[in-house]
Amino acid sequence: MAWVATALAVGAVLTVAANTELFLVLGERSLNQQLRSASEFQVYLADDASKSQVQGLEQELSSQTGVKSVTYRSKQEALALARQDPSLAKMAQSTNSNPFPASLVVNLRSPSVAPHISRLAAASKATDRNVPASYTPSQANRLSAFLSLARAVVVGIGVAGILLASLIALVLLRSEIRSRRAELRILTLVGTPRFIIRLPLLAEACSVAIAGSIVAALVLAYVGSRVVPPVDNYLPFLQLGNAATSLSVISLATLATSVVALGLCSVFVRLPR
Amino acid sequence: MPDIAARLQRAKDWLPGGPFGVAGPPGAIQLRDVTAGYGDDPVLTHLNLELDRGEFAYLVGPSGVGKSTLLRILFGTLRPLSGEIAVDGISVHLLKSWQTARIRRRVGCVFQAYELLGHLSALDNVVLPLRMAHPKLRNPEAYATDALELVGLQDKTDVLPGHLSGGEQQRVAVARAIAHQPRVLLADEPTGNLDSDTSGEIMEIFKLLNQLGSTILMATHDEIMLSRYPARTVRLPQMVLEEAS
Repeated sequence: MAWVATALAVGAVLTVAANTELFLVLGERSLNQQLRSASEFQVYLADDASKSQVQGLEQELSSQTGVKSVTYRSKQEALALARQDPSLAKMAQSTNSNPFPASLVVNLRSPSVAPHISRLAAASKATDRNVPASYTPSQANRLSAFLSLARAVVVGIGVAGILLASLIALVLLRSEIRSRRAELRILTLVGTPRFIIRLPLLAEACSVAIAGSIVAALVLAYVGSRVVPPVDNYLPFLQLGNAATSLSVISLATLATSVVALGLCSVFVRLPR
Repeated sequence: MPDIAARLQRAKDWLPGGPFGVAGPPGAIQLRDVTAGYGDDPVLTHLNLELDRGEFAYLVGPSGVGKSTLLRILFGTLRPLSGEIAVDGISVHLLKSWQTARIRRRVGCVFQAYELLGHLSALDNVVLPLRMAHPKLRNPEAYATDALELVGLQDKTDVLPGHLSGGEQQRVAVARAIAHQPRVLLADEPTGNLDSDTSGEIMEIFKLLNQLGSTILMATHDEIMLSRYPARTVRLPQMVLEEAS
């Protein structure tokens, strides 16, 4: 009965940890997507820009530090991409002409380089006079700072949640072992070798970890399939995406870490002299 | 139930004849300048004691004088603050926590609080240290049954300690301590919860073990027992040695 209670308590703690981990992974993935998208900087070309002007600008941008690659995207390619983008598809289909300009797609190593590229683009004769680039230097700075802060917050919350859950799980197991202190003392008194005393403790710790991980994995599967999609629908700006791919990895990671942590706790528990 | 004389006679057959009988020289007990206590408060100071192999001695003195503390340091459950202790050839004061099983498997101990495992039957409580001391022993249950019969509990082998009286639990503890025929037996008030007849039976068992070569050190405050079964007496706290009269 005590084992079941401990396993359920550890399961509850691991559930919190695993779900924190799930939202950490989804948040981190969403941030990475936004970072990738922010790192893809577009320099919009004027419709009347000559081929040599475009090539000159392309070479100049490619030579800048912090620029990974520069590729040319024609008006037709821009239109095709707009048709695939849910936010632009309506506009792309409703017009007979092609309103999407050709552009140079600049892949940046970090969004922090964007202000410099943006200034270069604005100074070039090949770029659109009104909207020379996908974002302005100040927008680029704000986006870069926001993404760094958001990433730090997400990672901080996730790590704190996992540490707290691990700590609680260890305290639970420790109190379970403490409650059996009298039994452990008698076993040492009758000359039972320590490794024989520790074996059942280790088995109990591992079985508690496995049972707790199964509870956590079941709740995690429910949250991943029934909770994340509605949240993603109602709060699309979070861009949580599909959780299915992360579930098995997080479940296995929860199992492995809990077995190792609780197993170590039982191995290093201090036995009476 | 056969009377104690018959049980003792039968025990003479199995005690020395077992695969782990008291063959070879039984152990001795030596304490040199031992100071022991709890935390920084010494209960025993600069203690010296020497018991020869095969000796029987009482440890007497008022409550709180350190009788149990002395037995604890001999059994290795308490480390002395200073001094040297040898029991059955083992330097107990040098044992690390993980090495104490060595002495536990060679020395029998009857604890004042019995220290029985509540979820094991009387028989299994006696079998457990037998298995620890002699892993290759075949059918340790037979030896445990003999030991329980010797203390008069042959009808209670399957009973859990919680369903036994205090006196019966004490007898299970005695059976557990003697079942592996230790070279050295330490006993902390082993007759404390027993009526005078049963106490006498336990003392007869201890005498038999002693005759077969075991060294026995027994803490007691029962003066009647001392006069009925005279032996060398160590009086705490002064450590006065009195020879058996």
